[in-house]
Amino acid sequence: MNAAASYSRGRRVALGLALPLAALAAWEISARIGDVPSYLIAPSAILATTWEMALSGELWRHTGQSLLRALGGYAIGGAAGIAMGLLAGIARPVERFYDPIVSLTYPVPKIVVLPILIAWLGAGDASKIAVVTAAVFYPTFINSLYGAKGVNRLYVWSARNMGARPLAVFLKVILPAALPQVLTGLRIGLALAFIVTVAAEMQNSRGGLGFLVITAEDSLRFDLMYAAIVAAGVIGFAGDRLLVALRRRALAGQSVGKEGANA
Amino acid sequence: MSDGGIPGAAAAARGAAGRAQLEVRDLVKTFRRGTRTVEAIDRFSLSVNEGEFVAIVGPSGCGKSTFLHILGGFEPYDGGTMLLNGAPVRGPGPDRGMLFQEFALYPWRSVIGNVGWALEVQGKPRAERIAAAERYLKLVGLSAFRDAYPAELSGGMKQRVALARVLAFEPRILLMDEPFGALDAQTRELMQEELNAIWQQTRNTVLFVTHDIDEAIYLADRVIVFTARPGRIKDEVRIELERPRRIDVKKSAAYMGYRNRIWDSLRDEVLKAREEFR
Repeated sequence: MNAAASYSRGRRVALGLALPLAALAAWEISARIGDVPSYLIAPSAILATTWEMALSGELWRHTGQSLLRALGGYAIGGAAGIAMGLLAGIARPVERFYDPIVSLTYPVPKIVVLPILIAWLGAGDASKIAVVTAAVFYPTFINSLYGAKGVNRLYVWSARNMGARPLAVFLKVILPAALPQVLTGLRIGLALAFIVTVAAEMQNSRGGLGFLVITAEDSLRFDLMYAAIVAAGVIGFAGDRLLVALRRRALAGQSVGKEGANA
Repeated sequence: MSDGGIPGAAAAARGAAGRAQLEVRDLVKTFRRGTRTVEAIDRFSLSVNEGEFVAIVGPSGCGKSTFLHILGGFEPYDGGTMLLNGAPVRGPGPDRGMLFQEFALYPWRSVIGNVGWALEVQGKPRAERIAAAERYLKLVGLSAFRDAYPAELSGGMKQRVALARVLAFEPRILLMDEPFGALDAQTRELMQEELNAIWQQTRNTVLFVTHDIDEAIYLADRVIVFTARPGRIKDEVRIELERPRRIDVKKSAAYMGYRNRIWDSLRDEVLKAREEFR
């Protein structure tokens, strides 16, 4: 047994929390002493504002709007990215067909097309969902593509040797074999979905956490601004943890090998 | 196939003790390397009887693995005929069971899930699948590991699971592509004994590719020596060692005789193959 494994769960959590808690404490103390700029509000005041807004329902309304946009775009972009990526990964002509357009548009920051999308789809949810869809598509497409392309040739050979038809090979070999990388794409995509949602709301919207940040800035309500940032952080963190837990479940057998497989 | 390509000798062999299960005639395989055309296999012919264990040895790069891959239906070939039980070989299928050096177990499936996989895609009911998988796991001595994942097993255990997985769909012939090549020397010896004991029970027809002369003699009824590329038959040695074979057969004079003869004909080819890589 190595030293890392002998750490108890509690000690590991404590170690991870040490730095954030220390920073918070330092922040709180300096804010109370009073020798800091006005935009550095004490964490306790931020917490109080967040709590107040949660009670009034205002925070939930904005969070709900952001979630709708982020998750809507995430679902569409993720589904399209996985489907097209896996297809391109197993069929060379499909890959050749998509490659130029994907390579050309991949480096474009997706948020810059928002004005075009607004002109096209209006300033409501649709344009934001569309820009999130575009942002999520690329990492899921590229990871699914390379996940499917990188499947061990012998896995496919074995399956065909055992009499599996192409659909069975796809569903029972390519899909599970590519799954780790597909999930990596989904994880990157989720972070991007939240980032692009908030960025889009800061540019143009009448609700959502990004909108909250901008209006708070306009009225110099820094406590409100922090409340919105805290909410965005909590959602992003929770979503990522959820995906990691899902991943651990889905890859139950495979993760065993990563540490000490030479039994 | 009615082209009359099988000469009288093969037909006679079919009438003899074992029927010819596999008939390979004048197989030719070339591949392109840049602008050059390289001959991998040159008019290779082989006939394997039912229940016979045939080993193919040859220098690395001689085309012996390529031959198995063609026979498995995974690689195209450029000439010749291949008949399995009288029917031409076209594409992969469960009448041939492939065993690879790298095991090729599915890491996302438990041991029992791997062994039952073929029966699952063939649409066999669950109970039948599990019963068959358990039977073959018992045969390879891994019943206790039915719920483990491949990543938790050693190399030798993985290859035993892979063998059980292939045996479970009951192919007509086993095609083994250096199955013990990735194992350490000691595990390798034990696996040879294990395979020997399993074969004694199942009596499958086996085509076994290896570069290890001892492995070939200990396991096979007949050893084919491949030439350096392009692969052709250089020599063919019938191994008349008593079965069931015990491990101490390796110390017998007869065994040493086979070993010297095969090494003598293999040696030149290994040197030739090495020359080519310079």
